[in-house]
Amino acid sequence: MVLLTMIARVADGLPLAASMQEDEQSGRDLQQYQSQAKQLFRKLNEQSPTRCTLEAGAMTFHYIIEQGVCYLVLCEAAFPKKLAFAYLEDLHSEFDEQHGKKVPTVSRPYSFIEFDTFIQKTKKLYIDSRARRNLGSINTELQDVQRIMVANIEEVLQRGEALSGSAEIDTLNQKKYSSESPTFNKQHFLSYLG
Amino acid sequence: MSAPAGSPHPVASARIPPMFGGAATSGAVAPTDPSLAPHQQNGPAQSQMQVPSGYGLHHQNYIASSGHYSQGPGKMTSLPLDSQCDDYYSGLYAVPTQNVMPPSTANQQAGAQQIYGRGPPAPHLVGSTPGSFQGAASSASHLHTSASQPYSSFVNHYSSPATYSANSSIASQGFPSTCGHYATSAVSNAAYPSVSYPSLPAGDPYGQMFTSPNAPTVRPVKDHPFSGQNTAIGHPLPLPPPPSQQHHQQQSLSGYNTSSWSPSGLPPTNDSLTRNHTGSLSVSATNPTSTDSSSSAVPPNVHLPKSSPVVSTAVSGAPSSRMPPTAHHPVEPVTSVTQPSDLLQQKGVDSSSTTSSASPMPNSYEALEGGSYPDVLSSSASSPAPDPAPEPDPAPVPAPATPQPSKMAKPFGYGYPALQPGYQNATTPLHSGVQPSGSVYSGFQQCPQQYPGVSQLSSSLGGLSLQSSPQPESLRPVNLTQERNILPTAPVWAPVPNLNLDLKKLNCSPDSFRCTLTNIPQTQALLNKAKLPLGLLLHPFRDLTQLPVITSNTIVRCRSCRTYINPFVSFIDQRRWKCNLCYRVNDVPEEFMYNPLTRSYGEPHKRPEVQNSTVEFIASSDYMLRPPQPAVYLFVLDVSHNAVEAGYLTILCQSLLENLDKLPGDSRTRIGFVTFDSTIHFYNLQEGLSQPQMLIVSDIDDVFLPTPDSLLVNLYESKELIRDLLNALPNMFTNTRETHSALGPALQAAFKLMSPTGGRVSVFQTQLPSLGAGLLQSREDPNQRSSTKVVQHLGPATDFYKKLALDCSGQQTAVDLFLLSSQYSDLASLACMSKYSAGCIYYYPSFHCIHNPSQAEKLQKDLKRYLTRKIGFEAVMRIRCTKGLSMHTFHGNFFVRSTDLLSLANINPDAGFAVQLSIEESLTDTSLVCFQTALLYTSSKGERRIRVHTLCLPVVSSLADVYAGVDVQAAICLLANMAVDRSVSSSLSDARDALVNAVVDSLSAYGSTISNFQHSALIAPNSLKLFPLYVLALLKQKAFRTGTSTRLDDRVYAMCQIKSQPLVHLMKMIHPNLYRIDRLTDEGAIHVNDRVVPQPPLQKLSAEKLTREGAFLMDCGSVFYIWIGKGCENNFIEDVLGCPNFASIPQKMTHLPELDTLSSERTRSFITWLRDSRPLSPVLHVVKDESPAKTEFFQHLIEDRTEAAFSYYEFLLHIQQQICK
Repeated sequence: MVLLTMIARVADGLPLAASMQEDEQSGRDLQQYQSQAKQLFRKLNEQSPTRCTLEAGAMTFHYIIEQGVCYLVLCEAAFPKKLAFAYLEDLHSEFDEQHGKKVPTVSRPYSFIEFDTFIQKTKKLYIDSRARRNLGSINTELQDVQRIMVANIEEVLQRGEALSGSAEIDTLNQKKYSSESPTFNKQHFLSYLG
Repeated sequence: MSAPAGSPHPVASARIPPMFGGAATSGAVAPTDPSLAPHQQNGPAQSQMQVPSGYGLHHQNYIASSGHYSQGPGKMTSLPLDSQCDDYYSGLYAVPTQNVMPPSTANQQAGAQQIYGRGPPAPHLVGSTPGSFQGAASSASHLHTSASQPYSSFVNHYSSPATYSANSSIASQGFPSTCGHYATSAVSNAAYPSVSYPSLPAGDPYGQMFTSPNAPTVRPVKDHPFSGQNTAIGHPLPLPPPPSQQHHQQQSLSGYNTSSWSPSGLPPTNDSLTRNHTGSLSVSATNPTSTDSSSSAVPPNVHLPKSSPVVSTAVSGAPSSRMPPTAHHPVEPVTSVTQPSDLLQQKGVDSSSTTSSASPMPNSYEALEGGSYPDVLSSSASSPAPDPAPEPDPAPVPAPATPQPSKMAKPFGYGYPALQPGYQNATTPLHSGVQPSGSVYSGFQQCPQQYPGVSQLSSSLGGLSLQSSPQPESLRPVNLTQERNILPTAPVWAPVPNLNLDLKKLNCSPDSFRCTLTNIPQTQALLNKAKLPLGLLLHPFRDLTQLPVITSNTIVRCRSCRTYINPFVSFIDQRRWKCNLCYRVNDVPEEFMYNPLTRSYGEPHKRPEVQNSTVEFIASSDYMLRPPQPAVYLFVLDVSHNAVEAGYLTILCQSLLENLDKLPGDSRTRIGFVTFDSTIHFYNLQEGLSQPQMLIVSDIDDVFLPTPDSLLVNLYESKELIRDLLNALPNMFTNTRETHSALGPALQAAFKLMSPTGGRVSVFQTQLPSLGAGLLQSREDPNQRSSTKVVQHLGPATDFYKKLALDCSGQQTAVDLFLLSSQYSDLASLACMSKYSAGCIYYYPSFHCIHNPSQAEKLQKDLKRYLTRKIGFEAVMRIRCTKGLSMHTFHGNFFVRSTDLLSLANINPDAGFAVQLSIEESLTDTSLVCFQTALLYTSSKGERRIRVHTLCLPVVSSLADVYAGVDVQAAICLLANMAVDRSVSSSLSDARDALVNAVVDSLSAYGSTISNFQHSALIAPNSLKLFPLYVLALLKQKAFRTGTSTRLDDRVYAMCQIKSQPLVHLMKMIHPNLYRIDRLTDEGAIHVNDRVVPQPPLQKLSAEKLTREGAFLMDCGSVFYIWIGKGCENNFIEDVLGCPNFASIPQKMTHLPELDTLSSERTRSFITWLRDSRPLSPVLHVVKDESPAKTEFFQHLIEDRTEAAFSYYEFLLHIQQQICK
């Protein structure tokens, strides 16, 4: 199940497009995940790995970075990883074609919010298991999906230097952080809603 | 970005709504204060005298602001001031003990107040008349909320010197608020003033200037009806009928809403307060003096310190006069304890009332618009949290100290006049080193700096020349009973606030933002004395032709109160600006130093934000809780037999087809349709289908969506299917025999459809819902339509629609209602679906597409506007005002999510709002106040935007100035809103009485201020001369009239309109414009787009003006009538109407033919011009004299006598009689 899709500019974390959260009927509160996604965007930089999976409890974030744009999706943890990445690749190719050149020039958040329409259609394709069979390409092209780095979203957000790969985490600190992280996250979230 | 947690939010405190809301309203409604009489001698002339001194104070600080009153006093004062300031500071800050003092005084004062309000009026029992407290409580609360003491004390110093030097008799002038009291009390002024001063300087933590003065007076003369607040009861003079009664009514008027809107934040924080409160409450009511031991153990301590500060002041000011006060002092202490209780009470009230506003989405949106920093919010910001701590126990030294710091911020206001020469002065931080140790509050540090600044300011300002105007036109006394033609011949414009030229130019347009008083009284006491309502009228999302839109990475806002930077802030230097609402000094961000317009650097005061009082910001993603939603439109259509018979579907579908491409939105726009009779029909419009698929759900007890998607579809991808459906719909149900209407279940389905995204639901209903949830029964008794007694059923019969609306609001969905019915449909219940979801309501009584062509035409025109007008989604609106003022009751269609955050699922350009204000802390140390509305919304293009309006008004200290600044139209609109609330919560007759009392009270209060007051004449200031006329018009309005047959739905609809229309439209509804049009000339004509538009003079609304030889045009806002007299010249009839003579004019004529004659051209050009000035194109009716339709026309002639109501002249006599009682 794809719950949330966001596209942002890596340079400054400016959100460019997103799909509306459709899931309110099932009572899921995506607010928290959305804020994590926003934080993540702010932490990304050029050194960040271009393919990554971040675990967040029962959910998983997957993202790819292409041409300075980050494509991020939140799925249930059980959602096949390769499907998720195939989905992101699809978004990437379409987005890049439609808006790629304008990306560096915009300053307003969600400048390409109308891309939502495409996201929703694509999403439907991937969620529908019958339609999925037709996506033969995913099996062949994304073999290397196994090698994609996996991390925990909260650790990443704690770390300051996001995903640079070089940051070493003191194990003690890590524990400390993880125990405090819920409150920290909340505070952080609140503070930047300003 | 984040503020230190727990930092006091000055703003927040300022905003604390007095739960009762009594203050403002009571002022308006409350019976006049007879005690004012003594004041009369002062008359206008005297008052002016006073003014200077009062102004003097300010003026040192504010050059620009104070405007007209000139005079030297400023200078005189300034010198002493400096010294005083120093003293004061040193006292407050340096010496801890001094701080303590203030609290004690405050208490005392409070106590005194209570006495007034409560003590004397035994009649007011706490339980029975909550209203009675309101006045007192609210005033008390003012004090509390913001720890204003520092100011007040501060002020005192200033004022005192000025006063004394000027004239001893007027001692009170320095304190505008106080002066009233003095005047009233028979006791010698001198004595009182002295008393008051000492207490004031002490700087009560509670900060009420005015109260203290009262206290002294009260003691001696128990009966004195002092402050306007509780007025009615205490009044020695015989007032209009039963004062007490009136009082209640009025108060309730103001009061009722308040409870529901109380701040959600409060409850938790104030619990403790409440408890104290209740305890103290009872006690205080009975005997103020004795008690409250619980709340204030401290007072004794306080006292001592107090005296010392007093002394210091005295020295600097006028020693002689002051001394006496101290003597009086001793008496007071007893009382002092009580006040805290008042405050507490209020708070307690607040907290209790809060419950109603529980929000579906807790703080989230609040955080977005940025009422304050989120963390703060949760803890204390949104609520008056800062106060609670100090209040409960003033005793502990540290506690008092804290509140002060926050208050200290206020003095900053001195820098006020943005951009004026003054600010450099403010900059110099003399005392910056002095920070009080214990203070948590960030604002604190700044305070010390200010003082020095102020003194400097004063000297620089002293040189300013303020023009002295002997008597402004607005104050010219008008003898109403003598003046036959009270109505001016030209339309009435909003008065222009008396500001200096620069500020005038920058100020917000009155079309967007108006205040009932363009001169804000310095204190609640002064306001109460004027007996006028204080409030704002807003039209925030009005269509604008010019609007600066600002895109920048950082939106500059005050760090503590979140006010947006605006033209009325002051720049202390290149790098810092001072907030004009909370007086906090903020840094100017680097980005703001660059001005994109001029491409220059280093001129922050030239940025568009600071050059325009109406701007729009493109918001950053910080202002979004989720990606901006698409425009989503859902139509819920009644297709029962009744609906099909009425034939609205044809018109609706046709309008939709025509405007489908003009619906606001982007490529994401979605649309859907639901129809219902006894079952609910959905339409699958999924792209790719060959034709729309109808899905019927007959289980109305448990509504479900037959398919998860495809019911709301992308407008562009499914356009063909949508067109097919719209073409088919009108004929799909032609043979239906289904008479039932399952509106409730259909709405539940709509909610389910909309909740994932939010958007707009348009409901078309033609009868009483008769099936499923929310079914209604007829409640109207046709025999009671013209009853003069009780009008029942103005409120909803069920809470189903309100609950549904709140659910919708929580999901960012607004519900608009189109009611097209020929029979009673219980609009009072149905309207709730729109009222609380920020929707709008349209009503077409006896609609039939063929038999009632004018209604059909109206629907068509309304739909065109409705479908194509601008729309904002997922919006919130917050109004902020200068510290010291506070908002309570809000009017309009919305849901109050927290204290002052209005949740607007949709916002449309035709929506108006009103807010009632009270003055919680005296405004003596500021000469300007500002109001700022921020509307955060998502445009139909998916842009998150913030529209900000800022209004700036002068503060005045004399009653005459208050009267001079009345905006009578704004006042009448606010009163109308209050009266609607009153009608629903109490009764229609109560509301009517309250309206009459509003006139009686204000005119008698005014009468008592003019020196040559004759009881035989009914005198009004020029600014108020239309007040009685407008009130009479209101009494004859469908909403409030009695004795004339009025259908319940018509009445309720009129009330809905009053609550949600912007002022311009509302005024036309209340008092239409009448023109004679058979002799239009080019004299005085104006030119618009190459067209010559004649400007005929306004006629008064009386049959006496209707000559049989003439033709008249009446502009009622949404309807035009052209009345043709029987003897109208055939020339006109031929040239304009295209008929040979009177007899041949058809009965139903709704258009003027385009004839090639001069008079036809003039007439059409005039009518077109009138039409262009409003968003809704009015329908025109040509009414022949003696045609049956003329009653519609004649009911608007409000100056004439009807069977059930006074003529204008009779009404005046009635008022006069009431005043003389």
